[in-house]
Amino acid sequence: MNYSIIADAYEKIESTSKRLEMIDFLVDLLRETPKEIIDKVIYLTQGKICPDFVGLEVGIAEKLAIKSLSKASGRDQKQIENDLKKSGDIGKTAFEFISERIQTSFFKRTLTVEKVFETFKKMAKTVGSKAINVKISLLSGLLLDASPKEAKYLMRTVTQNLRLGIADMTVLDALAISYGGGKNNRPKIERAYNISSDLGKVAQKIAETGLEGINTIQVEVFKPIRPMLAERLSSTEEILDKLNGLCSAEYKYDGERVQIHKKGQQITLYSRRLENITNQYPDIIKFIKTSIVSNTAILEGEIVAINRQTGALLPFQELMRRRRKYNVTRFMELYPVSLFLFEALYVDGEDFTTKKYFDRRKVLENILKKNDKIKLAKNFVTTNKKELESFFEEAIANGSEGLICKATGNYSIYQAGARGWLWIKYKKDYHSEMIDTTDLVIIGAFYGRGKRAGVYGTLLLATYNKECDTFESVTKCGTGFTDEDLIKILNILKNHIITKKHPRVISTIDAEIWFEPKLVLEIIGAEITLSPIHTCGFGSIRKNRGLAIRFPRFTRKYRTEKNPEDATTSMEIIEIYRNQIK
Amino acid sequence: MNQIFKLKISEAKLLRDMANAISILIDEATFKIDEEGLKLRAMDPSRVAMIDFEWPKTIFEEYECVSPSKICINISELLKLLRRAGKSEAVNLSLDEKTGQLQIVVTGKYKRSFTMPTLEAVEEEVPTPKIDFNVKAKTTTQGLSQAIDDAQLVSDHVRIEADSDKLLFIASGDLMGAKITLQKGSETLLDLETKEASKATFSLSYLSEIIKAASATSEIATLEFSTDMPIRIDFQQAKQGKLIFFLAPRIETD
Repeated sequence: MNYSIIADAYEKIESTSKRLEMIDFLVDLLRETPKEIIDKVIYLTQGKICPDFVGLEVGIAEKLAIKSLSKASGRDQKQIENDLKKSGDIGKTAFEFISERIQTSFFKRTLTVEKVFETFKKMAKTVGSKAINVKISLLSGLLLDASPKEAKYLMRTVTQNLRLGIADMTVLDALAISYGGGKNNRPKIERAYNISSDLGKVAQKIAETGLEGINTIQVEVFKPIRPMLAERLSSTEEILDKLNGLCSAEYKYDGERVQIHKKGQQITLYSRRLENITNQYPDIIKFIKTSIVSNTAILEGEIVAINRQTGALLPFQELMRRRRKYNVTRFMELYPVSLFLFEALYVDGEDFTTKKYFDRRKVLENILKKNDKIKLAKNFVTTNKKELESFFEEAIANGSEGLICKATGNYSIYQAGARGWLWIKYKKDYHSEMIDTTDLVIIGAFYGRGKRAGVYGTLLLATYNKECDTFESVTKCGTGFTDEDLIKILNILKNHIITKKHPRVISTIDAEIWFEPKLVLEIIGAEITLSPIHTCGFGSIRKNRGLAIRFPRFTRKYRTEKNPEDATTSMEIIEIYRNQIK
Repeated sequence: MNQIFKLKISEAKLLRDMANAISILIDEATFKIDEEGLKLRAMDPSRVAMIDFEWPKTIFEEYECVSPSKICINISELLKLLRRAGKSEAVNLSLDEKTGQLQIVVTGKYKRSFTMPTLEAVEEEVPTPKIDFNVKAKTTTQGLSQAIDDAQLVSDHVRIEADSDKLLFIASGDLMGAKITLQKGSETLLDLETKEASKATFSLSYLSEIIKAASATSEIATLEFSTDMPIRIDFQQAKQGKLIFFLAPRIETD
């Protein structure tokens, strides 16, 4: 299959902001794709070469991409860099330079999807001292065969800037239409995706065997399951109401959520984003080996840092000190951790995601050999809102964030990949005067004055608009930072300064310094108000008004485990605003 | 042990320099080996440069090839091993049919034996470019390297020009320029045959890497080119060995 077919489809998809049109273009592309490479096409349209949990990324640094373009076009690197500064888009720059290439080659081939995919894979797998040179020549090899349009998308893909805005659900819709007998059948396909986390595999299966074949995708060890998420409410009464009067409340520990896959003595840990984080926690792996008695298992739990002397639970930022590539063992001793298990999704060949809450909890109890490193998440089953409230107080006093209240009835399955009312969050923050905490992305800053000269005094923060794939300003925050924080933020953002507003940032406020959206901070605010200057949810409540967070304060939590796309969405702020005025 | 071939080279340096010259363009090299000798013809991944290499069996101290075959190896890995060998130590190469492992034995003050895996051979055949060259210039590799070094001071590409009595290297950067003249019959330009005055421009990063690495294997290089056509550089080898590079030109815009 010629790569030009994909490039043409990308161009069409990019030209529309209507989701339905986007789906149509995707359907056309899928129908044109030979079945045996449909997985590859799916990965490519998402800017990937395999599902995230495999951990093989196509990304190369912009500098290397420029070098490859220089090699393939015969043009000077500096010229390319200058053009890139003006265009702000490596794709556009590649289009220009490939249109006017001055280096000739011995012969040209037609670029195929297979060739592009294999080359990307080779690039991702290349390591060692000569890796940089090998990657540059592999990429320039592709660029030499590419038309300007193809070069544009190749370059965006390798620099992880493809951003077609094709969300997982859009792909599922397109699959349902092209191979699943219509959009109504999406839930069946979605289930296969939620338990395998592999869109390529799902696409391949449905293309080859149709809707019936999709059932052969089952929960499997070492194929992470997309995590179930919780809704939130701010009173115990409402919570009990929603859960039919009975709930099992579990401590919501302030740590890192992990999914544990075990087969014999082989164990893999996946993060909330389903990345392989096994190497971060050699101690946890050891504990699991000795205290989980089933042969195979997929479990969920929270890893929490604990005080070395007292054994008390420590907050999330203490745990994040362990997040490093090197010296893992030393930091393992400095920051000991415990694991609190809260879900069993698969045990010894049996899929528990479709079973009731108490069944899952029971099997979890049965396979855990009592020890002081791995425990079950503390829980309390109640029908009483006062009891629930005092269990909440106890949870907070013991250093946890709040509660996850879980449904227990016949319908209380584990809804992989979904945020629903079967689980409800009850957190400290909704409880105080403040509204909820939000995770916001730093998009710009203003220089500090007086005591804060030399660092950023105020940060411009944004929510994520999922529909448009943009970042919308929502508040300016200068409170809650210690001197160390300000220096730390200065250092982190140093490498992400850009000369003008990032193309995905929507802001009418003119920051003194602009950043590439990267760092996510947890921010707490007092209320949400209509704003004439902030762009979050602009026009959705009132014409020409956006939403702003008043009296924002940094909670000192760096959400480095989150991508900017995982930040609080503009839609969530709109929801909170609506609830506020109810 | 069943071996597809067994080769012995009396001086490790010969093999090392050749591997180095090949590694300039390619990482995974597919060699053809038969009763006649060892051959490689390949292009760099960007297909801007090509190498044509041949070592007839007379280069080797011992040469035995049971059946003609193709063998693909990672040349930079091989180079790492060869760098451990002393200049004049002997090197034995053999390929085990069963394991597909290449064995490299270095014998000198003591004996070292390495094994490395072979890779899937590339089936694609690379044709030799057919070009009518209008200029043929014979230079010392030392002089040629010097000219390239000079040009590299000011630019990343160089125009090579020839008329009936001189060979020119002209480089122009943003601010600086360089013009290197090699006169026919000088110590550097040993011979020059020009059918028609010609000029063509080439990337200096390719040219300089090729010339530097190949110069270690050769004293004399023959350049052949025509206006805006690929250049052929033949690095003269001992005992009918062959090391030729082709490089595609750039399109002159200014």
